[in-house]
Amino acid sequence: MSLLPSFELIRAASLAEVVAARRSHADCRLLAGGTDLIANLRHGLGSPATLVDITGLPGMQEIAIEPAGLRIGAGVALSRLVDDPLIRRQAPVLAEAAAAVAGPTHRASATLGGNLCLDTRCVFYNQSEWWRHSNDFCLKHRGTVCHVAPTGNRCHAAYSGDTAPALLVLGAQAELGGGGGKRWIALDELFREDGAAHLALGADEVLLSVRLPIAAGLTAGYEKARLRRAIDFPLAGVAVSLRRDGDALAELRIALTGTNSRPLLVSGCETLIGHPLDADALQQIGKLVQKQVAPMRTTIAPAHYRRRVAAALASRLAARLFSAPTPA
Amino acid sequence: MTALRGPAVGRRLPLIDGIEKVSGRAAYTADLPAHALVGRILRSPYAHAELLDVDVAAARLLPGVVAVITGADCAKPFGVLPISMNEYPLARERVRYRGEPVAAVAAVDDETAERALALIRLSVRELPAYFSAEAARAPGAVLLHDNQAGNVLREVHDEFGDLAAGFAAADLVREARYRCAEVAHGQMEPHAALAEYDAERRRLTLHSVTQVPYYLHLMLAHCLELEESQIRVVKPFVGGGFGARVEPLNFEIVAALLARAACGTVRLNLTREESFLTHRGRPETEIRVKLGMTRQGRLTAAACEVVQRGGAYAGYGIVTILYAGSLLHGIYDIPAVKYDGCRVYTNTPPCGAMRGHGSVDARHAFECLLDTMAAELGLDPFAVRRANLLSVPTQTANGIIINSYGLPECLDRVERASGWQARKGRLPPGRGLGMACSHYVSGAGKPIHRTGEPHAVVELRLDFDGGITILTGAADIGQGSSTILVQAVGEILGIDLGRLRVVATDSAVTPKDNGSYSSRVTFMVGNAAIDAAQRLRDILLAAAARKLESRPDRIECVDERFRVRGGEDPGLAFREVAAAALAQGGSITVKGTFTVPVEYQGGKHRGGAVGSTMALSYAAQVVEVDVDVDTGMVRVEKVWVAHDCGRAINPLSVEGQVQGSVWMGMAQALGEETRYEGGLPLHASLLGYPIPTIMESPPIEVHIVECLDPNGPFGAKEASEGSLAGFLPAVTGAVADAIGLRMTELPITPDRILEALARRQRDSRIAAARGAAS
Amino acid sequence: MPMILSLTLNGRPRTDLVSDNLLLVEYLRDVAGLTGTKRGCDGGECGACTVLIDGAPQHACLTLASRCGGRHVETIEGIGSPGRLSRLQRAFHEKLGAQCGFCTPGMIMAAEALLRRNPDPNEAEIREALSGNLCRCTGYVKIIESVQAAAGDAT
Repeated sequence: MSLLPSFELIRAASLAEVVAARRSHADCRLLAGGTDLIANLRHGLGSPATLVDITGLPGMQEIAIEPAGLRIGAGVALSRLVDDPLIRRQAPVLAEAAAAVAGPTHRASATLGGNLCLDTRCVFYNQSEWWRHSNDFCLKHRGTVCHVAPTGNRCHAAYSGDTAPALLVLGAQAELGGGGGKRWIALDELFREDGAAHLALGADEVLLSVRLPIAAGLTAGYEKARLRRAIDFPLAGVAVSLRRDGDALAELRIALTGTNSRPLLVSGCETLIGHPLDADALQQIGKLVQKQVAPMRTTIAPAHYRRRVAAALASRLAARLFSAPTPA
Repeated sequence: MTALRGPAVGRRLPLIDGIEKVSGRAAYTADLPAHALVGRILRSPYAHAELLDVDVAAARLLPGVVAVITGADCAKPFGVLPISMNEYPLARERVRYRGEPVAAVAAVDDETAERALALIRLSVRELPAYFSAEAARAPGAVLLHDNQAGNVLREVHDEFGDLAAGFAAADLVREARYRCAEVAHGQMEPHAALAEYDAERRRLTLHSVTQVPYYLHLMLAHCLELEESQIRVVKPFVGGGFGARVEPLNFEIVAALLARAACGTVRLNLTREESFLTHRGRPETEIRVKLGMTRQGRLTAAACEVVQRGGAYAGYGIVTILYAGSLLHGIYDIPAVKYDGCRVYTNTPPCGAMRGHGSVDARHAFECLLDTMAAELGLDPFAVRRANLLSVPTQTANGIIINSYGLPECLDRVERASGWQARKGRLPPGRGLGMACSHYVSGAGKPIHRTGEPHAVVELRLDFDGGITILTGAADIGQGSSTILVQAVGEILGIDLGRLRVVATDSAVTPKDNGSYSSRVTFMVGNAAIDAAQRLRDILLAAAARKLESRPDRIECVDERFRVRGGEDPGLAFREVAAAALAQGGSITVKGTFTVPVEYQGGKHRGGAVGSTMALSYAAQVVEVDVDVDTGMVRVEKVWVAHDCGRAINPLSVEGQVQGSVWMGMAQALGEETRYEGGLPLHASLLGYPIPTIMESPPIEVHIVECLDPNGPFGAKEASEGSLAGFLPAVTGAVADAIGLRMTELPITPDRILEALARRQRDSRIAAARGAAS
Repeated sequence: MPMILSLTLNGRPRTDLVSDNLLLVEYLRDVAGLTGTKRGCDGGECGACTVLIDGAPQHACLTLASRCGGRHVETIEGIGSPGRLSRLQRAFHEKLGAQCGFCTPGMIMAAEALLRRNPDPNEAEIREALSGNLCRCTGYVKIIESVQAAAGDAT
């Protein structure tokens, strides 16, 4: 039986309480749905003295249309994202991506914020204490070497959240709160290409909500490659959003998960704007993806597969969305 | 009493212990109440090393620690086969795989046990480690076991018939290589044991997840140097086995050793990771097959080479490598068969028996090549199998007597049900159909221990309450064997099944049984149950005859009424007859036995005992797939399977077993694979080891073929293993039909499919370039 | 640090002293003695510990008991009534939805959550609802039939 380390659980009712708890307790982790954190703690990945439950913060459970767009609290459960009529109408790609996370039992407790802030994953990291000890630990936790790339100097653990690419292609912003108050950043700025420190959050900051601009005529989708059609993390996940103007592409965004240490917004898509999405353009999409993703040996499935399937899914999804009827 | 009357055999009876399972009342080993210490095992971080010292002094001093044991506490090697016992419950002198138990602790709670493990210091001298059969067999490799030259546990070389003449007579001879990854059982219940040692009386009681309580009993006595009479082994509800628990396992003996050292009760619940480390799954296997075939598809000769990466200890290894060869026989008529097998030691967790033991990977390779050659000759896969059917009764070249053979009907049934003739080759791109056949033994003819005792014993007890207790040592691990025994006994006695109860697998009470493996229980224990029921019926008929003033041979019992056959008399109720019988001398206990006649115990050649059986089951299946060429995902749309199990004593149960087998074949074929990184398992979790979810599990349509076997209980044969192997070649055949590529390496994961597609594209570009150049 | 946990367990209120790091699965099995909730993996991978919390299926192995204060927790032992199996339990029994039975409590709890939300699910909805629950015996065929039979019984 794997046991949890002993810790104190603090239920924070306000952002100030979170900030205070983190100031007074050095070794502190934030707890929302717990599907990622508790599983990791059971595997000995950290032994925080304090867990701060942030699901009770004001606004964490809200889904609301505001002047600046659709705001979704970070504490909203993924199962709610799947079913919520507002989400399904305004951001169906988010519902689609949320539905692709693990299984329904996970989604009932896992939250949007937790999925966005999901710890990065690696076959050398997501193992038991005995296993990691037998392997001299790793750069991400208690060790000095990244077994994925032993000559390098950073951790290559892969980002595996499904909802991030869906939000990125919708141009989402993230609301962060901390001791210095609240601020909005582009969601893309929340992430860093470093498996051991992939979140660009300040030491006392919490992800409070995300906001999506309401964009007319945008169509978007999410596709996920995985061995099993439930439970599994993405080997590669692709979200695409596009707008079509007559026969030409007017807007295109592609974002990926599972291939890098951060969710990746593909650059260079603007070269395809103004042209029809023909076979050449689809091939171009595949090439853009292949060139920019950097899957490493972090999964049992080989890295070259993840690169290949990411590209294939991106062009296939773009083709499907391009030929789909334009949403109202 | 629930009215469960009428013929019992052939009835779709729900499992007799199903209510406990659906209500949560079923107590598995980890659920048993006990005031127990917590046991934990320290496992080797090294793949191969000399163990210089295991320092447990600090651990012993930790408050709350009651016992700490090491290899020094047990000097007796164990193993399921008396000829190859080379494993210690806790390593001595050498560790041979990462995860091998080295020391164990019993403490007041988990936290203390965990802290104690962290205080144990190992001193070692590391040795070269080998993670493939090839590396372990290389000249100069350090031996894992000093007496096992070349790191080979067993080589097998068998030849039956005139192979050279066979290949000479062929119109087409082809040879191909296949590779099947190592796979694990993945039973849902992690390993667990509860050991209670009565220090005053020096008696041990062990509850465990075992499929073979008797073999475990023997090894506990051997390793603890106790007389068998001082040990009691109980198997509670068990959450699946599939072969993972058909040999005594190190943690079971460790639990007993800990309990003795602690003079108390110790609970040892293994994690999922530890359950994977204990392993005993199907070995990584390289197969080379060569077949000779006439233009009509008739086989003229077959040669097969098998190399298995067996892991660090012998376990069932000798049997596994023998099965791969012996079950080349018994399904088709082949004039000459040669087999060369080699079982190799490596620094990975020991392999063992897994559903379809030994036969699966070799059958896969054989059926694949059969298809490939049929295609080359323009023959239909069904036609080429029909060209090679056996005619029964017959005896195979390696000595298996076959009296029943439902394969022809299995072929007909799945061919029709799947619409094969109309659909094969006419499906849209990316869709394909494949088919294959397979078979399996109904119990190993020759027992592991040659004690001279019967192969199976069942006792029945009738007392004042009018209830009949079936006492059996056969381990129901979810396959439903206890339910089959109720049906067998009820059928013979003609009584309400609600009158029957089963008491099983408690060595203090139940007769010895060899265990649940090689699909032996229905056949052997079923026959013993019939024998016992007939003896009890004789007693009841005699009592009824006395009361009815008739002769026993004129009495019949239908639906609990004993009547003179053809008479007008209303007859006697069961309770009246039972009372009359009990009046003769009180409670009645009868015993039934079953022994496999010597002619069914295998050929005279070395290793001939393995594969020996009284009856073979047969199966044919058609698999339909959809292949996504962008992602490489293979989706199984549907499976049609026909299984000849002789008489289906419980058709509901047969369907469940066949569906489970086919599905487990799917899991092996499409995704499951153990992976080691320097001997450390990357897969030792239910995320790393991708047991299919309900989402990718296809409808499996089962057709039961009842080709009755004269020796089977009511004509029954095995139903739980024989249809697994056929899935592997059938699905690769379906993929070949869908995308034109025959995959030779299992599992056919999406990356392997995309790689193969890319390779074909490269090859055709090169060929086109060459064509343009010339 | 120990805290007082008051919750409703299978319809009955109950109060215990629990530590903050106690998992719900440990609470159910070791404190409340309800061993029908199974441990099949090392955390969130198999679904054998699925219970209902306020009607939603949850992994007891990833849930802190201390977060269940004031909530309704239901386990396999609370499904059905004394002497009478629930329609799902009866269907799993009669249709052989359970072989070894180890995944069965979790499977039934996940199915129970589905049928309460959607009394007449189609096959795709059944598959989706049970997609986090692994079974190694049945190939799921008879599990789907069991849920269908139970849903049919209710109408």
